[in-house]
Amino acid sequence: MTQRAQEIAQLDRLIHEPARLTIMLILEGVSEADFLYLQREGGFTQGNLSGHLAKLEEAGYVEIEKKFKGKVPLTVCRLSGLGKAALSGYSQRMMGLLKSNAR
Amino acid sequence: MKDNSARQPASYGRRAASYWFCDGLPEIFFGTALVIIAALMFLWRLYARKPWVWFDWMIVAAGFILYYLMERRVLDFLKSHLTYPRTGYVQPPEEVPPRVQTITTLSLRPDPPAKENATSFQWRTVMLVFWFCFSFMLESNPLGRWVVPVVVPALAVALYAVNRRSEHPYRWWSALILALAGLVFAWVDAPANLQRPLPLFLAGAWLVAQGACTLVHYLRANPDPQAAEGARA
Repeated sequence: MTQRAQEIAQLDRLIHEPARLTIMLILEGVSEADFLYLQREGGFTQGNLSGHLAKLEEAGYVEIEKKFKGKVPLTVCRLSGLGKAALSGYSQRMMGLLKSNAR
Repeated sequence: MKDNSARQPASYGRRAASYWFCDGLPEIFFGTALVIIAALMFLWRLYARKPWVWFDWMIVAAGFILYYLMERRVLDFLKSHLTYPRTGYVQPPEEVPPRVQTITTLSLRPDPPAKENATSFQWRTVMLVFWFCFSFMLESNPLGRWVVPVVVPALAVALYAVNRRSEHPYRWWSALILALAGLVFAWVDAPANLQRPLPLFLAGAWLVAQGACTLVHYLRANPDPQAAEGARA
């Protein structure tokens, strides 16, 4: 196995999946957002989004909280400290790989 | 064929910042506040035996302070009933002052991600209206009856130019409407009592009209999900 193949294999597969990467990037930019906003912004179906969110929550990357704004119940999601670190590590590794490929 | 490959899509943070204005409520609220301030000034001048100029300033200052104190709470309440059930909730943008970069840091370390879910509505729109209208409220105003035809078009140009690259730009034709509304008073003589509140009133009415159009468009594009479910049942 070449070094590059090893580096690629070390990428965080949980974040590498496009839908989950989209969720993580949205949450990184906005601090917190509810289920409906994520669904519209990322173009997800309800089932698809809840599946991906469950995986991210299980890994500790995303925190999900049910709260009320006025009388409206909202399922608010935010990136945890672990999630921020994971996303930053992922993007650095990915950038490194792409840069070395361009050389 | 036009090449769009170099065009960067707006970041999620910038999109969230402009989402704050998608329903027109921030403009409606600020516009309504301006109209109320203008109405109070007009009524004060109409009924007071000796219109005291400091009182005009006090009304404007108190109105703007109240607006600053209540804005987020009122908007959050309105949005929780109108916007969040329809298109979802996202953290409201942070209000940031215009960036004045004085020190350039040279470093090989990558920058921390910039705070992009931020708005400068209060600096670019609210403060602009405040200074334009407030500075021409002096008793010994050299412009005299030309206050409205000069101040309002200048305000329209400033609002358009300053907000052009913001998360919430105004359309050129919309700014033109405000400018023309002010220019009308070059030919029409406004009553003396109305001279001072008129720029505030015109700016407020323009903002309310603009916000109302955005709101109608938003409500048509995003019907109430509960009502839609009821109709389906």
